[in-house]
Amino acid sequence: MGIVLDGVDYAVMGRPILQGISLALDEPRIGIVGRNGSGKTTLLRLIAGLVAPTTGRVAVDGIDPARDRKGVLRRLGILFQNPDHQILFPTVAEELAFGLRQMGQEARAAEAAVMRLLEAEGRAHWAGSATSTLSQGQKQYLCLQAVLMMEPGTILLDEPFAALDLPTRARMARRLSSLAQRLVTISHDPEAVVGCDRVIWIEAGRVFADGTANEVLPAFQDAMQRLGAGDADIDIAG
Amino acid sequence: MLTLTSPVETRLHRLPAGGKLAVLCLFSAGLFLLRSPVWLALCLAVVALLHLTGGRDLAWRGLGALRILWPFVVIVTLWHGWTGALVEGTAIILRMLAAVAAANLVTMTTRLSDMIDVLSRVMRPIAPVLPPRRLALAVALVIRFVPVLSARVGQIVDAHRARSPRRRPGWRVLAPAALAALDDADRVAEALRARGGAG
Amino acid sequence: MERSLSHIALFTALIAVLGLVPRIDLAAGVPITAQSLGIMLCGTILGARRGALAVLLFLLLVALGLPLLAGGRGGLGVFASPTVGFLLGFPVAAFVAGLIMERTTLAPFWAATAGAVIGGIGVLYLFGITGMAIMLGKSFSEASVLALAFLPGDVLKAVLAGLVTQAVARARPASLLARG
Repeated sequence: MGIVLDGVDYAVMGRPILQGISLALDEPRIGIVGRNGSGKTTLLRLIAGLVAPTTGRVAVDGIDPARDRKGVLRRLGILFQNPDHQILFPTVAEELAFGLRQMGQEARAAEAAVMRLLEAEGRAHWAGSATSTLSQGQKQYLCLQAVLMMEPGTILLDEPFAALDLPTRARMARRLSSLAQRLVTISHDPEAVVGCDRVIWIEAGRVFADGTANEVLPAFQDAMQRLGAGDADIDIAG
Repeated sequence: MLTLTSPVETRLHRLPAGGKLAVLCLFSAGLFLLRSPVWLALCLAVVALLHLTGGRDLAWRGLGALRILWPFVVIVTLWHGWTGALVEGTAIILRMLAAVAAANLVTMTTRLSDMIDVLSRVMRPIAPVLPPRRLALAVALVIRFVPVLSARVGQIVDAHRARSPRRRPGWRVLAPAALAALDDADRVAEALRARGGAG
Repeated sequence: MERSLSHIALFTALIAVLGLVPRIDLAAGVPITAQSLGIMLCGTILGARRGALAVLLFLLLVALGLPLLAGGRGGLGVFASPTVGFLLGFPVAAFVAGLIMERTTLAPFWAATAGAVIGGIGVLYLFGITGMAIMLGKSFSEASVLALAFLPGDVLKAVLAGLVTQAVARARPASLLARG
């Protein structure tokens, strides 16, 4: 069980993005690090079933996430990097109810469940608020709650702290660490995955290192600092 | 987002939306059958009185909404003054004012949610072609993304102004605005897919 | 499915936003409102079917009472005014512009400009002038005199639609659904 990738390649118009990825992920806290453009976000989209691999196989608890969309909804949720790309509805209540409606609940039952959640969180007054008026941290919180409403076993987090200021970041980190779900955190920032049971370093579309946080992160940090010291951002990737 | 519904609750707000729309249809059709300026003036007076039952605020808003018609009032007046067909010209102006004012009155006194309820009832026969949930989703997406896209276009305009001597944005902001809409559309499609698709 | 729906909804939002932005400057300080340009772009970028659906969705929201027309107008009143013909012609104009974009093999600029002229001016004026003729009790030729005032501006907008479509075709060839 858990997330299995077996000989996965992914290419866009013949250009390889990911190559030969084979992983079995079942630790409770997993971190995936890499530079911008290393392919880590594509890896997340493959796991979530938003794209299908060019070759190889992806399975989440034994089901193909790209084929069985309804089945994967209960198993896996995603928190996108930018909440503005994730929030689909004008009001908070509609946003939260959408996932439940997608899983086949009646409108009234979904509405009631949303109100129960908001009351339990001390945010009943949010229900009718416009999502566009929320702060960045509140939007992120809303996205997380919308994912949690669907009670998935695993949550994929794409740069969960990128847009947050320090206090909001601390609150978010605390909230995430208290979750019972398996978390897969993707980040360019080693700090975001420090407490993970397992860290995977993706470089140029391949798994470069795979081990505990203590094994992988110091080497990753060293490599990033060395790259930063040089003036390497002159080339434009073809 | 703001709607054109008047925030001041009037008696007209409490009437069923479907009924108001049906009466509006009949009333508008009736206006086109009438030729006599006297009858049309009477119709306009009825609409004006209905506005006044909603209070002075509603009546002012109603009057303000008619401002967009002034060029047509001027054109018709000049035209018919020239040709001498004054009775006909008066009828045209009265009919236009009554029709637009009546329609605006229904909009001002009907909540968006009530309008959407009527819409979903009217659309029920074509549900197999256009599932009501999909239409509701599309409507929600537009209301959600008008402010998002608006902020984005605002940024593009600012970025353009920061490097241009002109005060108004040039047409060159249009292509990035269209690209922003396309990019958002791709991301929304992805977010929808991540949460079980558009059904 | 998701992609179709999201593109239709986002371009509906784009039409609305183009009605909200301050007027846009043409070359020599000639201000124009960009909303009708948005209608043309729906056709030339999304193609006939999706473009027309985006415009229909826009009209639906206006009718429901959202102030999305340029200048914050909306509601049922605009459908009772003499300009109603133009509103009803909008989706047909987008459809025709999209059809020309889809069915010709001209370069994006020429196809989009031709589509915007034939759909966004030819077809749109046919609807708009007919509407004014009915609402103002005039003959078609009398009503068309009134529309002539807008012709120079709309020709410029058609060329702009061509330029914007060309820019999109260059920046994101895969996103030009009309040529998908």
